[in-house]
Amino acid sequence: MRISKDEVIYTAKLAKLCLTDEEAEKLAGELDAILADMGAMETIDMEDAGNDTEAGMPRGVIRPDENVVFGDRDKLFVNTKSMRGTFIQVPKVIE
Amino acid sequence: MSSDFISAGRISRGVAGKSFSAVEITESHISKIKANDEKIGAFLTLCEEDALAQARAIDKKISEGRPVGKLAGVPVAIKDNICTDGIRTTCASKMLEDFIPPYNATVVEKLLEEDAVIIGKTNMDEFAMGSSTETSAFRITRNPHDASRVPGGSSGGSAAAVAAGMVPVSLGTDTGGSIRQPAAFCGVVGMKPTYGTVSRYGLIGLASSMDQIGPLTVSVEDCALVLEVIQGYDKKDSTSCCGEYDKDYLSGSTEGIRGMKICIPEDFFTESLDEETAFAINESIRRFEHLGAEIEKVSLSIDHSDILSAYNVLVCAEASSNLGRYDGICYGYRAKEYENTDELIEKSRSEAFGDEVKREIILGTYFLSSSNYDRYYSRAVKYRTALKRRFAEIFSRYDLILGPTAPVLPFRIGEWVNDPVKMNQMDMYTAPANLAGLPALSVPCGTSRAGLPIGLQLIGPHHGERAILQAAYAFEQDMHKEVI
Amino acid sequence: MSFETIIGLEIHAELNTKSKIFCGCSTEFASEPNANTCPVCLAYPGTLPVLNERVVDLAVKAGLALNCKINHVSKFDRKNYFYPDLPKAYQISQFDLPICTDGAVEFECAGRHVRVRINRIHIEEDAGKLVHMEDEPYTLVDYNRAGIPLIEIVTEPDMRSPLEAVTFLRILKSILEYGEISDCRMEQGSLRCDANISIRPVGQKEFNTKVELKNINSFRELQKALEKEEKRQVELYRFDEGHKIVQETRRWDSAKGRTISMRTKEEAQDYRYFPDSDLVPVVIDEPAVAEIKNSLPELPMEKYRRFTEEYKLSADDADILTGDRYLSEFFEDTVREGAAPKAAANWVLGDMLRMLNESGIPSREIPVEPIRLCRLISMVEAGKISNTAGKEVFKEMFTSGGTPEEIVEKKGLAQISSEDALLEMVKKVIEENPKSVSDYRNGKTKAMGYLVGQVMKASRGRANPAMVNELLMKELG
Ligand SMILES: [Mg+2]
Ligand SMILES: [Zn+2]
Repeated sequence: MRISKDEVIYTAKLAKLCLTDEEAEKLAGELDAILADMGAMETIDMEDAGNDTEAGMPRGVIRPDENVVFGDRDKLFVNTKSMRGTFIQVPKVIE
Repeated sequence: MSSDFISAGRISRGVAGKSFSAVEITESHISKIKANDEKIGAFLTLCEEDALAQARAIDKKISEGRPVGKLAGVPVAIKDNICTDGIRTTCASKMLEDFIPPYNATVVEKLLEEDAVIIGKTNMDEFAMGSSTETSAFRITRNPHDASRVPGGSSGGSAAAVAAGMVPVSLGTDTGGSIRQPAAFCGVVGMKPTYGTVSRYGLIGLASSMDQIGPLTVSVEDCALVLEVIQGYDKKDSTSCCGEYDKDYLSGSTEGIRGMKICIPEDFFTESLDEETAFAINESIRRFEHLGAEIEKVSLSIDHSDILSAYNVLVCAEASSNLGRYDGICYGYRAKEYENTDELIEKSRSEAFGDEVKREIILGTYFLSSSNYDRYYSRAVKYRTALKRRFAEIFSRYDLILGPTAPVLPFRIGEWVNDPVKMNQMDMYTAPANLAGLPALSVPCGTSRAGLPIGLQLIGPHHGERAILQAAYAFEQDMHKEVI
Repeated sequence: MSFETIIGLEIHAELNTKSKIFCGCSTEFASEPNANTCPVCLAYPGTLPVLNERVVDLAVKAGLALNCKINHVSKFDRKNYFYPDLPKAYQISQFDLPICTDGAVEFECAGRHVRVRINRIHIEEDAGKLVHMEDEPYTLVDYNRAGIPLIEIVTEPDMRSPLEAVTFLRILKSILEYGEISDCRMEQGSLRCDANISIRPVGQKEFNTKVELKNINSFRELQKALEKEEKRQVELYRFDEGHKIVQETRRWDSAKGRTISMRTKEEAQDYRYFPDSDLVPVVIDEPAVAEIKNSLPELPMEKYRRFTEEYKLSADDADILTGDRYLSEFFEDTVREGAAPKAAANWVLGDMLRMLNESGIPSREIPVEPIRLCRLISMVEAGKISNTAGKEVFKEMFTSGGTPEEIVEKKGLAQISSEDALLEMVKKVIEENPKSVSDYRNGKTKAMGYLVGQVMKASRGRANPAMVNELLMKELG
């Protein structure tokens, strides 16, 4: 076994997903099969592979420090389920 | 079916030359969609009124003698993971079922600038995770060539819409083959450009380091035309390539394939490749040779299971992070019952994401977690670097790589959906181009005995779109000669 | 056994930019919640970050001012965690390749030469603000701060007392202010500090378990929080209960004046850092670094040296003045207008500083024009008004504005130097104070002071004291 049911539950929790016991059981089986199929990864020879972030990379898109106001403010929160004034309202956050 | 096809090039020339109006074209395509889509299921949203309003505006421009764009009056379908201002964009997920973007993706802006008509949004695998369009939360899309079979995925709706003649052009997105594989399954042309060629701004991210938007069209000529419109540097996308873009990929194409050095990777012809596909590809290789290409069989010495593993690790890892934003707070699905915000987030995500999405998020989270990072994520990144180098070597000697697009023929709906390991295999020939950021195109190269389309893939070096399109165009012309 | 305190700091400073780090939204304080937001900083699906170039320049500037090595290639990573103030469910930050590394700041503190090494400076984005409602079961979210650019400065554990930590933070603040890198408004949270503290017996090489203190918003609180934690840990070691110190994060509650445990190491989040492929590596070449280096203004240490040499200020005066960029600039502007350095320093460090403290106005908002202070100083020096009147004029200039001339005029504070007017007053005082007059005549010279005082009082401080003295002596023979 490459991944246990408990590990699946722990990982799902990190990803803010809750699983029923049944779901966790089923997923553990599926993920185990996927990880077994990927077993080959462990044999990849990494000796001479460089790093992805190498010097001499092109300077990508960068923007000047200028204000751009998003014009259509009404559209911005049409998808929000609950507002209070211009605040977004959510149930009490436990600190 | 191909007699129904009318190309984007012909439509825009006809509209600009007043042979027919944009409204006529739009109406006729809308009625085609209404007549056929019940059966095919390619669309999630049809923008009838907006499209007609757009068409009227284009006709008005023409009647006033004002110039019109390169895609005047051409109806375009957009994959539903590309944001359209004011038009519902769902990613085929319950999570975004009622989501209205407040802005247009850059590609949509570019299409509108060239007077294309946005006609609707197409079905896909949920959040583009899948290769059959079966993971859509809303509907099944059927392959126009055989309604019992899948159209491929994740851009299945876009491919089927073009194949069924409902639109001449659609946009898809390709992270590991999601344009090319459905193009092959549906018998249309599909292209994934060089990473950075088409802006990702407005494309709902799956794996940011590999996602690219590209065209699905009835012909190579249209593919080139649409690419010319949607490509280009975008200051809203940090990974966008600056520099000169080719504005006419097929200019001077009389030379065709002659003298091109084409590499046939032996590694692509293993026992896992479908026999009929192998036959069609081998026939096509002879055709390329006949057209004057220098063909050489080479071993890329890449292991497909390594490629797929590395690809999977990167896609799942990036997706797990990209999909964190769906928490039910600012937009998207919100659960009905919760005690506090933590629960709101957890329940919203658990209720709205489908099984495949959850599987990939959990896998990605697993690959990135501190105890697995080195074993999976770091390895995959290094593997990608090594693969890029290997491709650079190959392209120092060859103009193109030629091989099959998909290892199998379109399979039956429901046949593979419960086997994620098998489904992953679908990307084995297409994912390398995504890992290395290379341009690649799938062009129809024949059919199976049962009449199912088969696609041929051409992969080029970085910014090698011109060579790919020219070769594909010559090949396609030669194929048509025979048909006629 | 004697113990040694080990302190390291992590400082978040908001960078001085007009727009957010990855979108064009304003960084100005907005009274309306969510007014400074757009699809990008709200993490709308499909949006992408594009880096603000000034953020890179300011981070490099900070690195140079703190003697760091500038990394020509650095990259952005995602720090993944779910919290409603974080729209993307990840914070874009820099993990293993920050923009600056290996710096140092040196200073003297309570007789010890302190060298605080800077481990790293990295760029990251701020999160939104949560407002927890008192009487209703809701939290309100405001994303105006989401995407405000920050640098995080991480020191090595090189400070040995709460005082050293506070002194370091003061110096750091003044450096960031001088470089116009950050506003450093601690009261608004644009400079925030977390502190790591551990205790070990003197002579021990290895570090003991450290505790992280969060949520410290002022110098005073930093000192108090560290002293409190230092005391707590030392007591535990004294009573052989050192094992009770666990690696944890404790929140400083300034109202209660104590720290409260937030989470232990075991509960620590797995942030799943990995490179953000929506962004490209930050590449900065040597000429660009050199250009930023040239743009660096004179920093507090250099200015201190110059103030003592050029203006001959005392060490203490120069220290206080240069510790505050705005104060030092005000001082120097006043001198440039023509005031004598010593007098200008006295006014700035005396009346000005007192008024600033009393009114709570920050030094960057000094409400007085340097040229007006300069004119006030020369009026006093020239004897046009008395010293006491000068103080009154200054107070008026500070609180209500106006030129010194107007205020002198309005309040009738001009010094009386007319011999006739003064003689009248002197005669009256002599008449009314026969006892003091006879005391003086009997050799009690101190009585003279009293009589001068009486004349000054009668003139409501306006009489020219030198003339009063002279006239009194003459009258009393
Ligand atoms: Mg931080
Ligand atoms: Zn914004």
